[in-house]
Amino acid sequence: MADNDRDTVEVRDIVNTGVDQEFIEKMPRRFQRRRPRQVVPDYIDWKDVDYLKQYIPERGKIMPRRISGISAKDQRRISKAIKRARMMALLPFVAD
Amino acid sequence: MANRTYEVMYIADPETADETIAKLNEAVEKLVQTEGGSVVRTDDIGRKRMAYQINKKKEGYYVLFEIEGSGQEIAEIERRMRVNDAIIRYMTVRVDEDRKSAEQKRAKRENKANKRASFRKSGSRDETETANNAR
Repeated sequence: MADNDRDTVEVRDIVNTGVDQEFIEKMPRRFQRRRPRQVVPDYIDWKDVDYLKQYIPERGKIMPRRISGISAKDQRRISKAIKRARMMALLPFVAD
Repeated sequence: MANRTYEVMYIADPETADETIAKLNEAVEKLVQTEGGSVVRTDDIGRKRMAYQINKKKEGYYVLFEIEGSGQEIAEIERRMRVNDAIIRYMTVRVDEDRKSAEQKRAKRENKANKRASFRKSGSRDETETANNAR
């Protein structure tokens, strides 16, 4: 999987490259949250609320790709399924 | 052309009588048959709490159909649902294409796994051969 290489930049990758240690400590740690490539089922059912809930944080929004870590294609399929479920009041548009 | 699969779901007012809903489902089935399609599955999910209020109602009566046909019957069903006051929301989703692509993906993956397994087998045989030669 060559396209998997660019997914994460971890701090330990640049520790021994001669970069100033202090600089590394100041770096924002925003790469940490990305999960490794996710396995998504072949058929995403828009009625399967329990599965879709996995991609909905408590606010009710669709989890962005940068956090969910799934491929663009799968993200499109999932977001479509979530939007369909929302229309039928299976999932909320906004949760409070 | 004529073989398409649809999922039709509707939400009815939770206060409608069960007989009315049964009658409605029967009517849908009849309609589909007269148009030349068939109802594969009728799933009467029943009263369920909705994720948000629709028309100031917190609950809804959910029914799901799986219909095979040309698409003509869907147009007619939707027309009737729009007019019916008991139905507060409906949606049709075409599912055959997504299912097909899912099936293809599964087949591809299996094919790949088989190939890999056969390659591994032949690979191990080569290894033993070279080991014998070295000896």
